[in-house]
Parts: sequence; C-alpha cells; structure tokens
Amino acid sequence: MKFSRFAVVGLLLVLLMAISVAPVVAQETLPRNETLYFNGQQWGPVTGWNPYSNSNNNAMAIAQQDNARVIMFETPYLYNMLDGQVYPLLADGPYSWNEDRTELTFKLKPAARWSDDTPLTAHDVAYTWATHVKYNTPTGAGNIDYIADVVAVDDYTVTVKAKLNDEGAAVNPLIVQAYVSTNYVIQKAWTETLEARANGDAVALLADTAEDVVYSGPYHGYFWDDSKVIYIRDDNYWGQDASMWGKLPVPKYLAHNIFTDNAAGTLALQSGEVDVSQQFNSNVQDLWLVEGLPISTYLPDAPYGIGASLPTAFFNLNAHGLDNVAVRKAIAIAVDYPTIIANAMTNQSATFDQVPRSLMNPTPGEQAMYDRAAVADLQWAGNDIEGAKALLDEAGIVDTDGDGWRELDGQPLRYVATCPNGWSDWQAAIEVVAAAGAQIGIDITTNYPEWSVYQTVVTKSDEPLPEGYEIFMMWSDGAGPTQPWSRVRKLLSSEFNGMASNWNGNWGGYANPEADALIQAIPTITDEAQLKEMYTELVRIYLTDVPSFTLMYRPQSFHTVNESVWTNFPYDGDGTNPPVPPLDMTDGWAIAGLYNLELVNP
Amino acid sequence: MKGYRNYFAKKLVWFLVTLVVAFLLNFTLPRLMPGDPVAAIVSRAAQGMSNATGVQAIYDQYTELFGTDKPIPQQLVIYLGNVLRGDFGYSISQYPRTVADVIGSSIWWTVMLQLPAILVGWILGNVLGALAAYIRKGFDKVLLPASLFLSNLPAFGMAVILLVIFGVSLRWFPTSGGYDYAMVPSVSWEFFVSVFRHYQLPFWSIVLITIGGQAIGMRSMAIYELNADYVKYARFLGIKDSKIIRYVFRNAMLPQVTGLALSIGTMVSGALVAEIIFSYPGLGNTILTAVRGGDYPLISLATLIITWMVLLAFFGLEIVYGLIDPRIRAAQSE
Repeated sequence: MKFSRFAVVGLLLVLLMAISVAPVVAQETLPRNETLYFNGQQWGPVTGWNPYSNSNNNAMAIAQQDNARVIMFETPYLYNMLDGQVYPLLADGPYSWNEDRTELTFKLKPAARWSDDTPLTAHDVAYTWATHVKYNTPTGAGNIDYIADVVAVDDYTVTVKAKLNDEGAAVNPLIVQAYVSTNYVIQKAWTETLEARANGDAVALLADTAEDVVYSGPYHGYFWDDSKVIYIRDDNYWGQDASMWGKLPVPKYLAHNIFTDNAAGTLALQSGEVDVSQQFNSNVQDLWLVEGLPISTYLPDAPYGIGASLPTAFFNLNAHGLDNVAVRKAIAIAVDYPTIIANAMTNQSATFDQVPRSLMNPTPGEQAMYDRAAVADLQWAGNDIEGAKALLDEAGIVDTDGDGWRELDGQPLRYVATCPNGWSDWQAAIEVVAAAGAQIGIDITTNYPEWSVYQTVVTKSDEPLPEGYEIFMMWSDGAGPTQPWSRVRKLLSSEFNGMASNWNGNWGGYANPEADALIQAIPTITDEAQLKEMYTELVRIYLTDVPSFTLMYRPQSFHTVNESVWTNFPYDGDGTNPPVPPLDMTDGWAIAGLYNLELVNP
Repeated sequence: MKGYRNYFAKKLVWFLVTLVVAFLLNFTLPRLMPGDPVAAIVSRAAQGMSNATGVQAIYDQYTELFGTDKPIPQQLVIYLGNVLRGDFGYSISQYPRTVADVIGSSIWWTVMLQLPAILVGWILGNVLGALAAYIRKGFDKVLLPASLFLSNLPAFGMAVILLVIFGVSLRWFPTSGGYDYAMVPSVSWEFFVSVFRHYQLPFWSIVLITIGGQAIGMRSMAIYELNADYVKYARFLGIKDSKIIRYVFRNAMLPQVTGLALSIGTMVSGALVAEIIFSYPGLGNTILTAVRGGDYPLISLATLIITWMVLLAFFGLEIVYGLIDPRIRAAQSE
C-alpha cells in the first residue's frame, strides 16, 4: 500500500515536470520535411532579440560581421566571399561613390517592407545610424571614426558620408563601403519604442531583450528555451517580390538545438537530426567513406572547405627573449605544421606547401593580392630543427650552463604556450608548438585556462600580458569586404596597443611605424598594382619580424551537410551564379542557398 | 519541554550563524576567481571595435551596472540589499537574462530528475537490503557484491555505461536533452512521453548508484538489529516473525532516514554528473556553464541554493531528532 502511494507521488512529480516546463503552444513537433536543422552556431540559450546589442547570444539571427547573418535582420548589400563582390538585398542596384570617394550613395528597393507591413525607407537607414551613435552601441563606437553621417536624401535614397581627414579625404573609404554590407537596417518606429522603454539610458537600451522587435528578413523567432531555438518563416516576406528572390526560402522552420560540445553535435549530424553542421567534425571524411552516411562537405576532398581565417600563435613581445626576432623565428620554423594540419585539423586545412604563409587567406582573390615570388626567400615550411638551431647559435643564444636549455643574457628561455581549455584543435596545435621548443633548446610548457579567464587576459592591451601568456593562440579575420586590409591591420597595427579591451588583434603588442604607415595608406589606394606592392611589403615585414605565425588555415564556417532529408546544398562547382559560398546558407550571399533546397522525399 | 526549547534555540542560532557565513562565502569566493567578469561582457559588446575611447565608454557603462568599480564591502552591501528584495542581479554569461530567470528555468528539471530518483533508489535499496538481511542465503550472496559494485561505481561511470549500452548500442533511449529534438514543449501526451523517454537514462544512472549504497546500509543495520537481544526475547515469547521484522526494520531505518535527508539536501549539486553526460537541461549544466564563464552572480545564487538546502536538511533533521529521540532531549535537559 505504501509503495503504491509512492508510485502515485512519483508519477505526479514527473507529470508536474512536464507541465512546469511547458508553455502552451499550438505546434508540438516540427514537421521534418519543413524544418532545416543546424548545429555549431548556437552554443547557449538565446538571451535576446535586440539588433543594437552584441549580448543577445542569438547567433542564428544576430551577427553583424563581414558576412552578416541575414535570416531575420537585413543589410543593404550581401557580401559573397567567393568572388569578393557585394549584391543588393535591401538596396536597389549597386552603390556609387562621388568623385572624391567621400560619399557613398545607394537606393532602396521600393518593395522592401518591415514585418509589420510598413515600407522600409531611407529614414530607417539614417535613424539606425543615428541611434548607434546616440547610444554608443558597438556598431556606433566601431564606425564613428570613419563615418560622419548617414542621411536620407529622399524616401529611397541613402548617402553615407565618410569622416574626412585634414586633407579633406575620407579617413577610410574601405570601412565606409563595408558598412552597407555588414550592418543591419533597423526600423525607426520600433527604435523609437525601444528608446522610450529605455528612457534614454544606453545600458538599458542595449540590455532590452526586444522580443517585440520589427524585422525585415524571411524568418523570426518562434520558440526558444535553454535547449533550442526555432525560427519560423514569415510568409509575407517582402523578398518574394520579383525585384529580389521572386519566392520564399524553402524551409518553413530553421531550428538549432543546443549541444554541449562538438561530440554531441557530431552524433546528431550522424543520426540525421542535423542537416547543416557549422562545427568542427573531426575526420569528417569518415562520415561518408567509412560510415557510408549521406554526408558531404563543400569540397569533396581535403581540405573539404574553403580556408578563410588564420588561427595564429602570437608572441608576447614583452616576454624575455621574445623581443628577439631570432628566438621568434626559430620557434616558428621549428614547428611541425604538417602534424598540426593532419592531427589538430584532421586535414581540414590547406598545407603551407599548397598555400605559403602570408597575411592572406587561401582564397584565389586574396592570394593574387601579393607577389608570392618576391617573398619566397623568407618562407619556411616548418619542422626545420637544424635551421632553427643554427639561427639561435648565430644570434649567440646558446646553452651556457649545460642544462640543455638555451639562455639569453644569462636567463633561460622558458615560456608557457597557452590557449583556451576545451578548444581541442587549438590545444593539439599548441602542443606541437611546445614540442618544437624542446627540440631546439627552448623550454615551452603548455597551459589551458578557461575561456572566460583567457579572453579577459589576452584582450586587456593596456597592461603587459602576465606570465603564462608568452605564446598564445587567437584567430584572425576571415573573408570580408575590407579584406585583406583589415586582417593585415589586426595582425600588425600598433593602434590597438593600450586599449582597455582589445578585440581586434596584435595581442602580442607588436609596433612597427613602417607597417603602420602602409596600413593607414592602403584604404585610400585604388590602383591595383600599387596595392599589390604595398601588400607584398607588409608580407615581407611580417615574415621578417614574425610577431605571430599562422598555424593552420580554417574555413570561415564549417559547412557539412546531411542529405537524408534535404538536398541541393551548395558545393564547389554546383553551377549557381553567382556561386553560393559555404556559409551555412545564413551568412551574406550564402542565404541564396535557402532558396535552392529540395526535399529528398517530397 | 524546557530542555527541548533550549535545544531548539541553540540549533537555531547555529543555523543562522552558518547561514550568514555561507552567504558571505558565497558572495566572496566567486569574486576571487581569476579574470574580470565585466570584461567578459564588454568583450562581447566590443568585438570588432577598434577605437579605444568607444570601448572604454562601454566598459565604464557595464562596470557601473555591475558595481565592480566599487570596493568589495560596498558591493556586498548593495548585493545584500538587492537580495533582500529578491533581486539577484544579472547573469554575466547570459546577460541580459537575470540570475533568477536562468536558475528558474533549470532548477525544476533538476528537482524533478533528482527527487524521484533519490526516493526510488532509497526505497528499492532499503527494501532489497532488508530482504537480504532477512532471507540471507543466495539472495544475499548476489545482492551484497552487486550493491558493493554499484555503490563504488563513480556516477560518471554508471552514466557512461548506460549511455553506451541503452543509448548508443541498443538505441532504446535518447542520449541527450530533456525532450525530443524536433519538439516544442506543450501540454500534450506526446510531449509527456518524450520527456519520459529522455528521463530514463539519467534517472536510472542515479537510481542504480543510490540503490547500492542504501542496500548495503540497510542490510548491515538490519542484521545488527536481527541479532539484538530484544529480537531474541520476542522470539522466545513466540511473537510472530512478521511482527518482529516490522520492529527490526523500523529501528534499522533511523540512520537510513538521515541518509535520505542528506541526499535530498545535496541533490542539486548531485545532479551535475548525470546532467552533463546526458546534456540534461538542469541546474548541474547551468552551474558548469557559470563556472566556465566566470559568471559569479550565477555561481553565487546556485551555491547559495545548495548551501540553503543542505543547511535546511541538517537543521530539519536535528529538530526532528530532538523530538523523536528521547536521549537527545534528555542530554539537552541536563
């Protein structure tokens, strides 16, 4: 009798659990044939829908980067990393510069409308910028040095006015033109509602979760909790107008379950619970070669994706000995890069034989922007232990006390190489760097702090990096409308040294006036031959001074697809024109892929 | 009864002192962790910004919001005032969600997983232990080693074994999550079944471990009691075995009840392993994320809840002991 009472209580508890976590909604199970599942983009609960803020952790909907994510909020133009061009989205036709390159003008499509069915006008574009400036949002603060104003010339014409230097020229026309493909247009009327709610307070405005936000894109939030986020198509989306896509995107729902780690995400991809995977799937080729699953990548063979960013080891130039270029270069040339690419990246990176190191990513467009032959004598293939030893011997950095480790000015060369804990591919890479040190008489140990600690230390450029951060890994820019200039800037420019929170680059504290001058000049140059010369010189400086060194190439996004339910995903040479890049059909021009999908079993 | 009042007052004072100390530690210790949590929020806000003045302005906005520009004692006073109003502040790793919201969305998953698991494990363990003591012979020979094995198996070991056998190999149950990947929570039979299926592996991973420990404890106590003089005397008087057994098990239960109260007190922290391995959306996962993210407002509240529950369990236990155990009352009266 007692046991049955317990059983009843137990059942009631379980029932209570079901009810307590269950808001009442109409739909219970998403129809598989109407839902496209993702992984690798959303790694924690969505915390908001505010396009002015960077703190929403709403990765599927809000990411204003080089290839802005445009499923919910839209930019005037879409960047295509494959051809380096921008294509109109909200904009009507290409933009134009005035003669002095100080003002950029574009028109908006008359068909463009907001989700509340009001027209999207130039006043929205201008008010978006004004709000960014007024409340010092990340977008405002990041662009205010380069953009003087965004004005509505008439209802459908927008002019972006560049900030001018003392000579009356635009400080940086590259950033001005990038603004129109990297930043969302947000509705003026909704912004005014938000401002009223925040009562003029910037922190309150950025902290607003904005669940009532008005948007112009094809999808919006449908359901989200701690374990998933689901977006539903807006069947009144303006983009089905003939002046844009002419139809709606194919999947009715976009869904992203939140996985604890890559292993859980890979398991879901294998079982067909995920259609598009933007995460690192180790030995991805085994999924089709060994397991025979209907899974594929953008390229059929290694490196399986288009390399775009350069995971890089930075030297802390304040550490003893690392201010000496011989020590830096010796470590860099001793590292076994093929092992890193084979093990850490499971061959999902081009090798440095295929793409010699420079400041460029492996895309043909960027590779053509410097003279590879002119810097060939400065290149290194890695694993050059004897060369590294000779370099150190020549610089007088030898083992003077016979303990097996080299000394400089009587002090041993002892370093910690570090990267965030749990970033397994980076950890594997940093272990190879440490192993290289042991072979050339430099004592390198490894350490893996949690990301929360790591990021606050590395990005605090107004103080020297503390001990334990002598060699450390961070990323570099991928592909975008300001590349390769922006990447070069972030790898070499001294302008970031001393920032309270430096999320740009050059974390080791490198400073070179010659490099700074070239970086400052490039955005104003339009002559291609001159640009190539300047980039080549910057690569020469980089390979000579070695303030940091690339360890591998990495795709902008991983793009692995399971074709159990959906097919006709973008792949290399699929015949689409312009080509759809491997960016999970959410970023920049890649969203065109959502309009091409087909069901395997309609 | 005067003795019991003294006993109660003493326990209450100790309870309150411990509560205050625990509160102070919960506030202070996470704030001594390395890394600047406000910088973590600023870092997200400032990604891509390349002008020092803009970043500094954003940094100042957030330090003011979180009060980290003030000395720790002043922060404590503000925090205390806020807590008394029920405001535990913002989560750093999930800003702008509040800490109460984050905990509120996960704690029920944990309670609903742990409470039934502890109760079922406790009941089954005690019944099996009692039977083993009473029946002995073959049953005990199987149960004792099995219980020893189960109770000594680390929680993650049990979880992984169940995951591999019933999740990956046999595919009887889902391997992760609280409900089906394609589902939207709703009040429906379909959703209930889905929750129930996802519940099985983490539930049994906790139950099996609990059974082992409880069965061993109950078996030992029951054997001790079965050999007590009063049992022999009762048998000598010809009292029925079933009646004797009832007394025996009632006496043997006392320490087991203590164990149950402590298990319930520590259940929130005990959920960690099962929740992480099965990606179960409970407080265990939330705590892990908070620690990884240096999210000290979230850590503070989560550990405070654990502390409160443990303290309440102990306090409740001592009060009940004082009432039911005359020896304690007698000792306090002296």
